[in-house]
Formats: sequence, C-alpha cells, structure tokens
Amino acid sequence: MDNVAIQLNNVTVRFRIPHEKIPTLQEYAIRWLKRRSVSFTDFNALNNVSFSIKQGETVGIIGANGAGKSTLLKVISRVIRPTHGRVFLRGRIAPLLELGAGFDYEMTGRENIFLNGAVLGFSRKDTASRLDRIVEFSGISEFIDAPIRTYSSGMVARLGFAVATDVQPDILIIDEILAVGDADFQKKSAARILQYHNDGSTILLVSHNQVSIKNLCNRVIWLEHGSVKMAGRVDDIVEKYSLEMLS
Amino acid sequence: MLEYDSAKRPPPAIDEFLQLVRYRDLILLMVGNILKNRYKRSLLGVFWMLLNPLLQTIVLSIAFGTIFKSSLPNYAVYLLSGLLAWNFITQTTQYAMSTMAYGGGLLKRIYIPRATYIIAAVGNGLINLIVSIGALLIIIIFLNHAITPAWFFLPVSIMILAIFSLGLALLLSTASVFFTDTVDIYQVLVQALFFLTPIMYPPSILPLEWSQLLILNPFVILIEIFRIPIHANHLPDFSLIVNAVSLALITLVAGWVLFTSKADQLAYRL
Repeated sequence: MDNVAIQLNNVTVRFRIPHEKIPTLQEYAIRWLKRRSVSFTDFNALNNVSFSIKQGETVGIIGANGAGKSTLLKVISRVIRPTHGRVFLRGRIAPLLELGAGFDYEMTGRENIFLNGAVLGFSRKDTASRLDRIVEFSGISEFIDAPIRTYSSGMVARLGFAVATDVQPDILIIDEILAVGDADFQKKSAARILQYHNDGSTILLVSHNQVSIKNLCNRVIWLEHGSVKMAGRVDDIVEKYSLEMLS
Repeated sequence: MLEYDSAKRPPPAIDEFLQLVRYRDLILLMVGNILKNRYKRSLLGVFWMLLNPLLQTIVLSIAFGTIFKSSLPNYAVYLLSGLLAWNFITQTTQYAMSTMAYGGGLLKRIYIPRATYIIAAVGNGLINLIVSIGALLIIIIFLNHAITPAWFFLPVSIMILAIFSLGLALLLSTASVFFTDTVDIYQVLVQALFFLTPIMYPPSILPLEWSQLLILNPFVILIEIFRIPIHANHLPDFSLIVNAVSLALITLVAGWVLFTSKADQLAYRL
C-alpha cells in the first residue's frame, strides 16, 4: 500500500444516453407537457474495475475499440469523476493524452508554451524558468515567435510533447502517441520516456501496437466491455489477446 | 507528495475554489489571450475598445438627446454610463455562456478547474469596462460635466457588477450545458430587458404604475449603482447600496453552489 502509485477500487463510469436527443429546454418542456417521461439508457463505459499499480511499474492497457481504454485514462487523469468507486493517485501526473491541450493557434509558440504549461498546472514563473530547455527540446527555436497556425502538425505535436514532458512526472499516462514528429524526434521522445522509466516514473501505456507494449511494459491489463478481462505478465496476456483478435 | 483521492475530496464548492487558486496563472493567461486575439489583427488595436462606445454614444445622443434635453442634462454621460454597466453585465454573461456551451471542449480532454472559462470571461469584461471608462472620460471632458469625489465610489460599484455578473454567468452556464437553447433564450430576454431598463431614457418618462414595476427589474439597481456617482455626482442612497450588494452576493452564492454541484457532470455533457 505504501508504494502504490495508482489504485482503482470498483470504479464504474456510467454514461447516460438519452434515447432521443433532447438537449434544449424547449423540447424538454414539450415533453413534460405531453407527460412523456424522458427515457435513458445507462451505459457503463467502465464496470467495476479494480487494479493497483506500484510506483515505478510500466503497465500496458490493451483492448478492442470501445473496451473503455480512453475512459479509463480519463478517469485516472481526473477529467471525469467515477460514478461509483474510488480512484487514488500518488504523485504528479502528466497525461500525454492530448498533446498541446489548450493550444491557441493564433498565438506564438512561446505564448503557447506558457498557456499549455498553465493548463498542465504549472505556474508562469515555473514555466519561464524552464522555457529555454523546452524550446530546445522541441527543436523549433527558429519559429518559436511565429503563430502556431503556421506550424506543421508535427511541429505542434513536438511542442506539446516538449512542454508536457519537461519535468519528470511521477505518473506518465501515454495514449498511443509514441510516434510524434519525424524519426529523429521519435527517437528523442522515446529516449526521454525510457529515461523517466529508469528514473522511477510509473507509466501507464495504452497502445494497439503489441511490439511497443512488449518492449516497455512489465504487466498488461486487458479490458473488454468496460471490465478487466485479464491482467498479468506481458507475454501471456498479449499472446492470448492476439489469439482472440485473430479468431 | 501530491495525492488525489476521488473518494476524499472537500465539498465541491470549496474544492473548486482551491483549484482555481492553484490555476490562477491559467486564468490570467486566458484573459490576456482573449484580449490579444481580439485586437491583434485590427489596425486600430486597443483604440477600437475606445471607439466602439464613443461612436455608439454619439449616434444615440444625436437620435435621442434632444427628446430628453430638459429632463436629463448631459444626456451623453447618462447614456454612456448606463450603457457601460449594461454591456458589462450582458456581454460577460453571454461570453461566458457561449464559451462553456460551445468551447468547453478542453474540459473533457484534460483536467482544469471547471470555472476557469467563466472567471476568465469576467476578467475580460472588467478590462473592457475599465478601458471604456476612458471613452466616458473623453465625453465628460468634452461636455464639461463635473467630476466629483463621488467617483471614489466607482470601484465599489464595479465590484458589485462583477460579483453579480459572475454569479449570473455561473447560473446561465450551468443551464446552457444542460439545455443549449438557454443561449438563445437569454439573448432574446436581454434585448427585451434593454428597453425595459432605463438606460436610453430617464425613469421619469414612464407612467407611474409602470415605474413602480421597475423595482422588479434587478438590472435597474445595478445600472443605478454605477450611473449615479458619474451622472448625478453624488453617492448612491444607502438603501440602494444594500440592495445592490445583497443582490450581487445572493446571485454569486446561488451560482457558485449550483455550478460546483453540477460541475462533475460537465465533462459528461459537453
């Protein structure tokens, strides 16, 4: 319990899907007048999920589309709160789900470093003290004072990656983004993640790429229809998973 | 070490406040960026902020000034001071609501305090208001209207307007996430209310039974608290101050409690 980094106890995330779309007051009122109740289907994107990840572990999440992987990452990165159950995290979390969340395309690269830094919870002063390092890692120092609408998508992603990973996080959440930028930058970013891994960061990796799961992870959790289908050693689980995918 | 436990969190109304304090730099940056974006590409830059209310006042003063010449000395000052308070309240709330209803996508992609956009909208409105007071000063000097120590009350008036607008923006933003047509309904209401509030005309032109109904319009109190020190050159009555402060505080508390209690559902709904 002492060295737990991420722990989920019976986490359920329930989305309420109305049968017909009634997002306006007008339609709601008409319905109410007609005495027709509004009908919903409850859909559990995550269903009673429990697991625990120790500090320094690298755990992969696999599963088909719609198995609840993204919802799981969202509930861990605090974007949504669980409907039931408990999510516990220890340490600063860096979610690499949305590189450059909050980027404003009219603003310059430099201004966006501050903006994205603030979205990630860093103070202005903190970001300012690390500005040079971020710019250097992103490799776009020549264009840092140009609006990022003039950037290529690769440059935007590089800048986002540089901001999000500049400070070593205790918990790193990665959603299929190891392929950022060109070959050189991919090498650089992979090296940085590996470095953080060696220095003791806990890593949660969602990927359809079984090679990167096998290379990086000690343990794998297999999600199916919002529940944990299997969890355990990489080789076993990945093998069973690919067998099922093929059948 | 930083810990997050979804099962152990302070009451939402307190938690949201603590998070906003932590993310204060984000709010400041957002306010700055709204301003930069709006005026970056226009040649006249910040002067638009001055020009817009000036032109509005000149046009309306030419149109209506002569009608109210006898009952309202320095009609342009009366008009613009009322207009500034009105614009601040309505533009801030409309802006906050539309950024939440249409632009709140960031809230479901990454964690930031849910009220960030709304506070930023009020901050943006405050800057617009303060710049627009510059336009008002130009007109006051041009018309030789007196500036008295009653002006020292204005920061209090602005604070009351800001607190009320924040509360109203929180209430309306919550509603707009659940019912998207709140934005349209509010727009129609605002247009109607503009003519039902004595901004372009003095309350004295209304028939007696109508002017008694003005008590029911909360905007009247808020316009007056801002306009009296500027146009009438004296402090607002004590009872008016009490009414305005209570109205603002009640709106803020109601908005804050409603918004924070529904905030968890925002990421599901947006």
